[in-house]
Amino acid sequence: MVAMETEGKVIKCKAAVAWEPGKPLSIEKVEVAPPKAHEVRIKIAASGVCHSDWAYLYDIAKMKPRPFPLVLGHEGAGVVESVGPGVTKVSIGDKVIPLFLPQCGQCERCQSPKTNLCTKNWEKTQQGVLADGTSRITCKNQQVHQFIGISTFSEYTVVPEDNVTKIHPDAPLDRVCLLGCGVSTGYGAAVNTGKVESGSTCAVFGLGAVGLAAVMGCKAAGASRIIAVDINSDKFEIGKTFGATEFVNPKDHSKSIQEVLRELTNGGVDYALECVGDVAVMRAAVEACSPAGGVCVIVGWIEVEELSLAPLDILLGRTLKGTYFGGWKSVEAVPRLVQDYLSRKILLDEFVTHRLALDQINQAFDLIMSGKSIRTVIEM
Amino acid sequence: MATAGKVIKCRAAVAWEPKAPLMMEEIEVAPPQEGEIRIKVIATGLCHTDLYHLVDGDKRGFPVVLGHESAGVVESVGPGVTDYKPGDKVIPLFLSQCGKCKFCKCPKTNLCESSWATKYHDIMAEPTSRFTCRGQTILQFMGTSTFSEYTVINQNAVAKIDENAPLDRVFLLGCGITTGYGAAVNTAGVTPGSVCAVFGLGAVGLAAVMGCKNAGASRIFAVDINEKKFEKAKVFGATDFLNPKAYNKPISEVLIEMTNGGGVDFSIECTGNTEVMRSALESCAKGWGVSVVVGWTNVQDFSAKPIQLIYGKTWKGSLFGGFKCKDSVPKLVRDYMSGKIMLDEFITHKMNLEQVNDAINLMKTGQGIRTIMTVSK
Repeated sequence: MVAMETEGKVIKCKAAVAWEPGKPLSIEKVEVAPPKAHEVRIKIAASGVCHSDWAYLYDIAKMKPRPFPLVLGHEGAGVVESVGPGVTKVSIGDKVIPLFLPQCGQCERCQSPKTNLCTKNWEKTQQGVLADGTSRITCKNQQVHQFIGISTFSEYTVVPEDNVTKIHPDAPLDRVCLLGCGVSTGYGAAVNTGKVESGSTCAVFGLGAVGLAAVMGCKAAGASRIIAVDINSDKFEIGKTFGATEFVNPKDHSKSIQEVLRELTNGGVDYALECVGDVAVMRAAVEACSPAGGVCVIVGWIEVEELSLAPLDILLGRTLKGTYFGGWKSVEAVPRLVQDYLSRKILLDEFVTHRLALDQINQAFDLIMSGKSIRTVIEM
Repeated sequence: MATAGKVIKCRAAVAWEPKAPLMMEEIEVAPPQEGEIRIKVIATGLCHTDLYHLVDGDKRGFPVVLGHESAGVVESVGPGVTDYKPGDKVIPLFLSQCGKCKFCKCPKTNLCESSWATKYHDIMAEPTSRFTCRGQTILQFMGTSTFSEYTVINQNAVAKIDENAPLDRVFLLGCGITTGYGAAVNTAGVTPGSVCAVFGLGAVGLAAVMGCKNAGASRIFAVDINEKKFEKAKVFGATDFLNPKAYNKPISEVLIEMTNGGGVDFSIECTGNTEVMRSALESCAKGWGVSVVVGWTNVQDFSAKPIQLIYGKTWKGSLFGGFKCKDSVPKLVRDYMSGKIMLDEFITHKMNLEQVNDAINLMKTGQGIRTIMTVSK
């Protein structure tokens, strides 16, 4: 083991701090404490910028409140800088992806093949702190919360060991960071949660990174028709790259999108994946499904609003489910997904439309809101 | 039979308009057309769906003869019918199974393209009918209309059953018991050792309890605001009994606490109340809980937070228990005859068709589980 110069010491580095909701991120000098028992400090090489990062800052009416000040970011990749006592799974120098969903391997949920929702540290990481109830990031003598226990909008961060997975040493960190959230979520929604079958007809609502990954998942599962739905027709070209066979812009039709899709498919799709996070779109996605065993998967993230449905839409035989991180058991699945990328089974490069420096991070949010980006990668 | 090929005049309980008492009338039942079977109805039950349509149904669904849970004997068959003959014991079905359409060929559904449910679920009936009364067409509820001494049904919606089956018991398999039982064993897919909750303890709910028990559930919570139903729930296999009104917090929180914070593995909602549908979902275990909506309503939307689903719960609905009707009902009859499922215990009152409004009042006031009405001798 090669000791790092910084091991055991507080690291001063740059991070994008959200001091309060509704305000742009502020690039600050922060202090990152050494990892405690069962924690890993990571030098972040690259981080994607997710719609949910934006939502917790600017769309807080739709999200459960998170404590501020806060360092956002949950789609990162980096290298282990040091480990705390008791850490055995990763070592200094390992390439890793921090995970907002842990996998302790011991709890009831980890032992069950039906779910990936590990309960380890859940309450704490949702509140932006680690196992001991504190965060490892401070700025101007103030504790700064770590978004879902991760905070990848910082040059260094500290995460619990169950929230980190070691990946192949050849993995390009500026691409595989996307497997920390968006791509794994959309892809897994199709193959794990929806369990899309060969020869089936699918509809994917919303062609951001998550939706495009869902399209890719439907294709990998062997769907014969993949109908991409978005109000921005500019996204149809990239939808085709990922495997979409048809494109529908709801604004081009006077009928509801679910009626359009039912007509296009003679009764409804076999699988619908909602990747927008809008309750009206969720309802449309359910109603677009075939009543004969159609499955709708809610993928888009939404915490507060309520979905409304006619009972008959469920009674006739549709199934409604949701997915968190694509249903993947995070620690064991992400390295396999990296491997799939390295062996060209899944695409990642094609998601990256912009690259920015940490100082430019607020531009990444502007790009999200303008609909001009799929994924912006922040290179640290 | 002396009546084959002729119009039959007989007695039927007609709902002339929503919310009004049923009227015993003499109606005319036309002979069966191609692919149809005319059946002498021997016994019928009353379901909440009949009551639902009478009280809240679409006006376009009237006048109508209600009834969709019955058993009878074939009186005559129309052209093209070869699988049935006069004298066969049968159970009319409110769903169809033509065996040829894309739905019938798909193992994931029990819908059928030839069923009224696929096209006309607003008015709960096909637009054409074999019933007339005083020169007016009377619709046939759910394609069955069993509140009549004789009815005419497409052969796709008729199950031929064991010749020794007691019609005054197995009529229950025409709707309620099959619906509840199948919701547990088929739609929810209850597993051995699992923890279940059934909301609503009418016939459908009690059948769901029976299904959970037969599937090997280790714990079955029976939930109802009417505690008089708990005794019968125990007969069918419930292990715990909860009256939501006895608690000052939501019943879903009570269930989560009683399952050590986990929630139940399977919940089955059998009330038709949208608030209960929500409670049933929220009572389920994060990560793998499955909630099945069985209760019928067309009036209100139900709602839930999508986060419930994102955190791993599944929401499904169940129509006729997910059973392929013509294939399954004869098997369920045999299951009853061999003691695998109970039917007798569901019957709490006996009447004849003339007393149909009394049966309706019993149901409205939550008395009894199922009333059997003798229709023809």
